[in-house]
Amino acid sequence: PLVGIKRVIDYAVKIRVKGDKTGVETAGVKMSMNPFCEIAVEEAIRLKEKGIVKEIVVASIGPAPTQETLRTALAMGADRAIHIKHDALLQPLAVAKVLKAVVEKEKPDVVFLGKQAIDDDCNSTGQMLASLLNWPQATSASKV
Amino acid sequence: EMNPRVRDLYKRVLRIGKDYPAGLDFVRRKAKEYFFQNKDLTDEVEIKRAIAWGRRYVRDEMVAVIQLKKYRVLRERYG
Repeated sequence: PLVGIKRVIDYAVKIRVKGDKTGVETAGVKMSMNPFCEIAVEEAIRLKEKGIVKEIVVASIGPAPTQETLRTALAMGADRAIHIKHDALLQPLAVAKVLKAVVEKEKPDVVFLGKQAIDDDCNSTGQMLASLLNWPQATSASKV
Repeated sequence: EMNPRVRDLYKRVLRIGKDYPAGLDFVRRKAKEYFFQNKDLTDEVEIKRAIAWGRRYVRDEMVAVIQLKKYRVLRERYG
């Protein structure tokens, strides 16, 4: 399975707006894996332990420090990590298009994504990716 | 001269302390307290036991606190 993860501002950090009001302050702020993406990784690992799936590949789009997030996923039990290096913020449709390319290259049986990111709360990437791939989808899953 | 396994344990405590709700400074202070309490241990078995206790504490107690806090905050926000 392929698990897409996102590096976001840590859930416990108090969000502050930048002085020039152009966005949220991210410089020097603690970042970590999106909690819903963590759940996706954990579920993939659970399935691997049960023997239902074989190799877990995690992928993430982001600037250089995204590597740390991917390493965390590897430490949790993923087998391989793909880092798509990109510095600007991406909207769900762009993310879905990039993930579609990854899927076409890696050919996983199933893709797990976090329900939504705690920074934008879009809850869209999974649905868009399924639609672009013409794959069936199950959203807001509580059990696999 | 620090026992390498003691240093390893201290590093583990600090790494997990980054995510600890009470904050890294709190964790560092408490860790130094506990480590200094045991600084005069000489018996190999006692040292091993202390390190094992420390590792178990990090793995079970600290991780549990972190996970529980996260679960509660997220359930409050997205519940």
